[in-house]
Amino acid sequence: MIVNGRTISPGKARGEVVMLEEPLSFLGGVDGSTGELRVGRGGNVAGKVLVFPKGKGSTVGSFVMYDLMVHGVAPAAVVNESAETIVATGAVISSIPMVDSVPTVYMFQDGDMVTVDADAGTVDIEGVEMRDTVSSAVMVDGKVLLLKRPDSCHSFPGMWSLVAGKIEPGETPEQAARREIAEETGLKVGEPDATTKPVHVREGKVLWRVHPFLFRLDAVDPVLNDENEAFEWVSPEDIRSRDTVTDTFLVVDRMLNGQ
Amino acid sequence: MDLTREEEAILNGEEGEGKQKAMELVTALGKIYGAEDLIDITSAHLSGASYKTIGDGGLKYLEDMAAGGARVSVLSTLNPVGMDRTRWAEMHITPEFAEKQLRIIDLYGQMGLRTTCSCTPYTGANVPSFGDHVAWAESSALSFVNSFIGARTNREGGPGALAAAILGKTANYGLHLDDNRRPTVVIDADIDGSVFSYSLLGQAVGMAIGSGVPYFRGISPETEEAKALSAAMAASGSVALWHAEGATPEAGSFDVSGLEEVSIGEEELKAAYDKLNTVDDVQLIAIGCPHLTDKEMHQIAAFLKGKRKVNKDVEIWFCTSEEVRARCPEDVKVMEEFGPVLADTCMVVAPIEGAFQRTGSNSAKAGNYLPTLCSQKAMCRDIPALMELVM
Repeated sequence: MIVNGRTISPGKARGEVVMLEEPLSFLGGVDGSTGELRVGRGGNVAGKVLVFPKGKGSTVGSFVMYDLMVHGVAPAAVVNESAETIVATGAVISSIPMVDSVPTVYMFQDGDMVTVDADAGTVDIEGVEMRDTVSSAVMVDGKVLLLKRPDSCHSFPGMWSLVAGKIEPGETPEQAARREIAEETGLKVGEPDATTKPVHVREGKVLWRVHPFLFRLDAVDPVLNDENEAFEWVSPEDIRSRDTVTDTFLVVDRMLNGQ
Repeated sequence: MDLTREEEAILNGEEGEGKQKAMELVTALGKIYGAEDLIDITSAHLSGASYKTIGDGGLKYLEDMAAGGARVSVLSTLNPVGMDRTRWAEMHITPEFAEKQLRIIDLYGQMGLRTTCSCTPYTGANVPSFGDHVAWAESSALSFVNSFIGARTNREGGPGALAAAILGKTANYGLHLDDNRRPTVVIDADIDGSVFSYSLLGQAVGMAIGSGVPYFRGISPETEEAKALSAAMAASGSVALWHAEGATPEAGSFDVSGLEEVSIGEEELKAAYDKLNTVDDVQLIAIGCPHLTDKEMHQIAAFLKGKRKVNKDVEIWFCTSEEVRARCPEDVKVMEEFGPVLADTCMVVAPIEGAFQRTGSNSAKAGNYLPTLCSQKAMCRDIPALMELVM
């Protein structure tokens, strides 16, 4: 799949992803003469496509990137959510292709083979397919409806989730949300009370782009179909302590706080 | 970004790889900060001059730039370096460091920079005029020229400022634009008016607001006071522009009614002082951050004349630019009885951590950076109080 971003430093490169969840300071974070990574899961950046949210720390970081290039151990490319001065400067002066404005680093996993076309501002994650889904928080009296997936479910088996499902061809996300709620719980909902930007969840070679919605209802009685084996009403704070599908708490929290 | 045909040609490499790289950097930074186009600059001032701060990666970068024929196209000056060019042994500098530092100065010289190395170029070597667009990279100096002169610059980084100097252009965003120069907060200041009180005021304001464009009431800074205030706010916060009612050139053009008001007085200054003082005895007293002006040299010499340094355990450094030192030979003679008057360097960018663990200064900027960049416990007092420690 091709992810659209923005050119920061031109060039093209193909390599294996090394992904960091946290902002990176090249000064202290990477050894300039060996390419050894001192943060995250460790490893070496040489020839890799280094993916992290953004740079931080000392402006000397730009020169650490130059040092990597001089020693032949620079990353093949850099991908950021949002570029800042230090890493952008380091990438340009060291001729390292760099793209920013990808939606999230969580689209990527260590070991993914990617082609960064920084001239076009795109990143191709090889062998990964994106699928659009919806995920709806149905709320009654301040509690959220969670459904338990059976162990035989092919996606996130045995976990608790919101009312979720794939978007069918020709359907808008909102239509899909209403249909899934009707199918899986027998409930009828109107206009959503809140939504937020999609979240991206990786599951193997599938990248789920999840469109979240919030529907508030008066007292209701869900009737499950065979896609789920149990339901429970849970307060938003308690979602965190449940074994849920990735980011369930995050999207509910965002929608409740109007983000 | 909206580039002219000429700028596009440079980006496409039609004027060589050096200029192409410079254009790639200036446009990349412009993109990040939402610039719509580039703007001509009249001068540049570069950081990244000390071997201590740029390391071998930076040195190699400068070697490659100079070898590639890079040359600045506007008046460009350089920040302090890691040592006095000739008196580095007195600073406990190793020959290996000295050799690399001298090489760095030489490389900048090859690229056409004026290699007087000072954080106060606005007192002589590089003086912008009101309304000039410039690309400056020393946080205290760029705040001074933005605020006290009314020139216009963002907080440039070292390589970004060099790229701008090569092109004679920088990305047009942030403080180059009228709208972003408006005050964001009013500061009602109650200070005693000494230069040291401006340092503490700046420290307190940086601690209170972090960033933004403060508009001061109740102060009337001149050059030395504006220098101390700029340096302190850029170090304790990230303030790059400030206005002072009746004292700075743009202050009169804004309506500040309705802005949030913050009072800074005795209590806040005490908190600022406490933050900057983490030790009671020192091994080194370093004065001149930012670099001493002619007037400060005269004042210090007048204060020290006829006095004697009796405490041999404490070293004293005075830091200024080569130009100022050359202009003040009589003052230098008096000051040298207490310690070396060092040119074009300072305690923050010199590798003092090899020789000292506890350092005193009269500078809020040094007070912020000595612990982080130099692993020092720091003391911050006014000059008479510091000198009392050795007399």
